[in-house]
Amino acid sequence: MICREFEYPSTPDSVGAMLDELTAVLDGAEVDRSLTRRMLLAVSEAFTNAMVHGNQLQPQEPIKIRLAVNETDIVADILDTGKGGLDRIKNKKPATSESESGRGIDLIRHFSASAKFAESSNGGLKVTLTFLRANNNTLSYK
Amino acid sequence: MDIKMREVDEVAVLSLSGRLDLANGSTLKDQLKQLFANNKTSIHLNLADVEFINSSGLGALVSIMKEVRLIKGRLTLSNPASYVQEIFEITQLSHIFEIYSTEEEALSSFHTTPVKA
Repeated sequence: MICREFEYPSTPDSVGAMLDELTAVLDGAEVDRSLTRRMLLAVSEAFTNAMVHGNQLQPQEPIKIRLAVNETDIVADILDTGKGGLDRIKNKKPATSESESGRGIDLIRHFSASAKFAESSNGGLKVTLTFLRANNNTLSYK
Repeated sequence: MDIKMREVDEVAVLSLSGRLDLANGSTLKDQLKQLFANNKTSIHLNLADVEFINSSGLGALVSIMKEVRLIKGRLTLSNPASYVQEIFEITQLSHIFEIYSTEEEALSSFHTTPVKA
């Protein structure tokens, strides 16, 4: 099993840095390219939510990613330090075709085998995403 | 993300490459604002080399589309990779964008479907 932990400042440029580092880990573990794309998309959505809604784009507030890759699945935890994390998820309004935001959670649920949302003791949100290597999640149109 | 711009007849053609995410979506919106300020109302985005797009990137495209509507212009997209096309379909944005298989088809459409007066 490969376990890695990353930490990023809450700035828009961190998305690219995070994608580069996760791609390197997944390539090293010989994860299928299609699954890598889907996983990076779902993680980027949780990451962007953590940065924008959780940490309010305050650079000094970190976003942590814990990544565990094994033969059968990949699990990613994305943690922010914001407040009322679960309320943000519960109160999410569905995106309309004209909305410029609000599609992230739907994409997370679509591309992951499992998406769990929990609130840490400091109120920050912990998103745990699981992806199955066996079927690549490619047939999981939910 | 890299953005290359050229003009074909009256259409501003932007070829995008790389990732379209939160940071790069803002860059793209800024570039489009400059075009709008220069009275460019016919816009085509070639997505052939977009290797990654997420909801932030989609949001930027929706924002651009709304701006184009405000100035009574027209926006077309072309050449999305199958993975990018899939994301448009999952989010149902494929219904509100004009997406063509090729840039040539998109540019031809500007001659047959004029910008609204």
